[in-house]
Formats: sequence, structure tokens, C-alpha cells
Amino acid sequence: MKKLILALASIALMATAAMADAPAAAAPTKVKMKIKAKEKDGVVKAKIAISHNMLTYDQAKKKGKEANFITHVTATAGGKVVYDASTSQFLSKNPLLKFKFNGKKGDELKITYTQLKGEVFFATKKIK
Amino acid sequence: MKKSILSLVALAALTMSANATDFRAEKPAAWTTKNVYNGETPTEKGVQAAINALYGDVAPIDGDIKLKAPKVASNGGAIPVSVKTDIPAKSIAVFQDANPEALVAVFNVVDGSVADYSMKIKMKKSGTITAVVEGKDGKLYSTKLSLEVALGGCEG
Repeated sequence: MKKLILALASIALMATAAMADAPAAAAPTKVKMKIKAKEKDGVVKAKIAISHNMLTYDQAKKKGKEANFITHVTATAGGKVVYDASTSQFLSKNPLLKFKFNGKKGDELKITYTQLKGEVFFATKKIK
Repeated sequence: MKKSILSLVALAALTMSANATDFRAEKPAAWTTKNVYNGETPTEKGVQAAINALYGDVAPIDGDIKLKAPKVASNGGAIPVSVKTDIPAKSIAVFQDANPEALVAVFNVVDGSVADYSMKIKMKKSGTITAVVEGKDGKLYSTKLSLEVALGGCEG
């Protein structure tokens, strides 16, 4: 029994090691995304629309497809994380997200999202 | 078996950078907390259980949170919801009681961002949206909003 636990633990360790390497292996894919980012008085208003089916488990079952939805969205600008959201299947189809942060004109806003199985996608846009 | 899962979760949490927090990896239980129905009517039990799974056994107090959503949503597939607060916040979570599971999204309020978020969500039927703000003072603040959904959004 103990051996089994040890074996499982080592598998888990290997799995995490593999996970740590994962970003290099599965490079983020660049996608088209509608992004609007406008600065006014030091505050950037950002609006992003991601094209995504956002299939919930229920919907997927009915359609005979696999559930797939965005699980995590981050935005970085000027080398800093400015938006960090963990999301669920209950965001709408083609989810629209709006947020504000302190930033400046000309910086590049990078939106990265992860979907259920771990694939990562990104898009960038200059702040106006 | 349980131990290995636990260590896996702990390690996964450790590998996350300090800036970005993946609440899915950190609090997996919160995302699978089911809503509780009393017959067909949604109850608050599921939402409360999800809050406890995410933030621990703390009872939220009413706080100054501006939660906005239409009173009657014609399309349950895309309901605009916005949360805004002046409370110095660590994170903001949005729950509802109309879908199979309670938790919709958790925003990590990073330094240099403004606690003002909008998104579009799905709701299967009429219900209540709950927004919870985890303050920097360690307290939980919450506010609720009931709305009617004319056409459910989860049937696809």
C-alpha cells in the first residue's frame, strides 16, 4: 500500500515537472481578438471580445461534443499583470470582458486565455 | 491516493507566479459546488457553499458594492453584469444560483488595476447573482441582485 502511494506521489511529481515544462512545449497560439484599449487620465479602459464557443457540460452533452470553455484570462501591459480572472463555463458565448487599469498610451496590451484542456491563446494591441 | 492528489495541487499552486492567481488550481472545490434547488426554485444554499469553498468559513457582510445587471434579461445566453467597488479588494467573485454550478468568475484585483469589471454571463433561468468582495482587511463583503430571465441561456 505504502509503495503504491509512493509510486503515485512520484508520478504526481513527474506530472508537475512536465507541467512546469509545458509552456515551452505548448507555445501560445496567436489568435484574432477584438481588443479596444483607450487611455484617459492615466486609466486605461479595455474591452475585449474573444471568439469562443464556451460549451458548458450540459450543452456539450446535448450536442455530443466535448465541453470547452475559457478557464483563465490574464492581461499584461508594461510588463505588469493588469487583469487576472479565473472564469467558468457560465460566461456567455463569445464572452465580452471589460476592465480598467492604470496604464499609459503606447504600451502593448497582451491578452492571454487558457481553455479547459490547457491550450493557451493570445493577442496583442497597442493602447490608444 | 489522496495525498498524491493533495501534493499535486499544492505543487501546481506553487508553480503559479506570484502575480497571477489561478483560482481554479487553488480552490478546485469552489468550481464544482452545485447549486441547491428546492424543487424548481433555486435556493441560496449552493451559493453559500461555494463562497465557503472559495474563501473559507466566513460569513460575508453587506458592503458598498455596485452590482449591475438588467432586471429582466431577454436573452439568458448573454447577460451583461458589472461589478464595481471602492473597498480595497484582494479579489472579487461572482456567483449565481440558476445554473448547475454556482461560481461564475473570480477576479484577482492586482495592484494598479481598478476594481471595475464587466462581463457577459449565461443563466439558465431567473435567479439571483451574488457578488463577493474579499477586502484587503480580510473581511468578506457581498451584495445580491435578483433578475428575471426570459429565455434560458444554457440550452444552447
